[in-house]
Amino acid sequence: MVDILSVVFRRFGSQVHASGDMKLSSQPESSTLVVGDENINRSLLLLTAITAASEMGYKVLFFTPNQIQSLPVTVQDSSVSLKPDSLKKIRFVYPKTLEELLEDVASLHELVPESAPLPSLLIVDGVERYVRVLDRPQQDSQSTAAHIVALLHDTAAFLKARSEKSQQPPCRVIVSYQPEREGRGGDVFAPDSILLVLERYLQVRCNLHKVINSGEAQNEWLLHLSGPGLQVDGYGNGEKCLGLQWRVVMQPNGALEFRPESAPKEETLQVQHSDCGNET
Amino acid sequence: MASCLPAVAEQLLKDLQKTYSEKSQIPDELLIALRFIFGSCTLQALDLVDQRAVTCVSSPSGRVVFQVLGGSGRLYTCYTSCHYCPCPAFSFSVLRRNESLVCKHILAAYLCQAMGLCQQEQVPDQQMTLILSGRAELDP
Repeated sequence: MVDILSVVFRRFGSQVHASGDMKLSSQPESSTLVVGDENINRSLLLLTAITAASEMGYKVLFFTPNQIQSLPVTVQDSSVSLKPDSLKKIRFVYPKTLEELLEDVASLHELVPESAPLPSLLIVDGVERYVRVLDRPQQDSQSTAAHIVALLHDTAAFLKARSEKSQQPPCRVIVSYQPEREGRGGDVFAPDSILLVLERYLQVRCNLHKVINSGEAQNEWLLHLSGPGLQVDGYGNGEKCLGLQWRVVMQPNGALEFRPESAPKEETLQVQHSDCGNET
Repeated sequence: MASCLPAVAEQLLKDLQKTYSEKSQIPDELLIALRFIFGSCTLQALDLVDQRAVTCVSSPSGRVVFQVLGGSGRLYTCYTSCHYCPCPAFSFSVLRRNESLVCKHILAAYLCQAMGLCQQEQVPDQQMTLILSGRAELDP
């Protein structure tokens, strides 16, 4: 999954800073958790889906409770060749409830007898909207989150095994999550119980912290990759790296640009924490 | 990955598979090792094995899942490649408290698989979808 993000970063990265010799990868079974506010999460997932379909030829299933109204400005303005055939590789599915999402994912094995290629990328945008329901106890929310990601993982493993027989790319999973207090200034040290469960199952984490300068939120995010499933070649003679940082800048027209951050700067400390607060 | 077994547990299950296929019983030292690695749910899981409570369900698509019949008569669905069980013990001891590797239902599925004691059942693909999504547990 991280290799797709790597293509996204290079494709939409600034020309000045583009780093051509770095290669991100992950263990084959690794899935990715994107943690940030819902708008940047969705933009990143859409770019990932379009890149996977148009540049890597992957068939993508994109699950989200809200209808996609338009393509990201970044894609419209860029030189990405958006052929209709490429876009046809992405299927948007709009389950409104938890039950609909589980049934949609659970039914994917029924595609096997068909001759069409199997999905190679399963994306769930805004998993929190399926997990957090008023009056649902914390323990139930944790179990619900585990059910969704375990089913996604098991389904991807099944599709991967079937794909290997037909020499298709293996199936990966990416899930986005907006922590509960995002944008509400809650207790940054309180652990997010749902996030802790999601991390058990998704081995690569992509954090998006909004940058705050002089007390004002900027249209910039610090993107930090971490997790046991992540491997970065091109730094330190290809040895394993625990994390990697990028600056994501939203231009006035809404386009996103990715700039590699080689080392943490002073400013990185002035971020709005969007996770459970266990990182500083 | 946290949702899979550590290497020591995997090795223990391999030892169990080999020993049980040769002797058709579990020696005391393996029982002690199982109790040490998996904790207090081991005895309850062995009870479920004795009751042949684990069924390996498959469908024409090739999808496979375990169903474990609990003591209350409820069926618990456990996936084959990833740890999840809808039982309260999994939510509390595994997910919330992080005290146990698995619940008794998942351990029973592992044990039955290693000992070759799973019941086998074939279902249509549509029924498999209901089982995987958890609907079959709610609408038997």
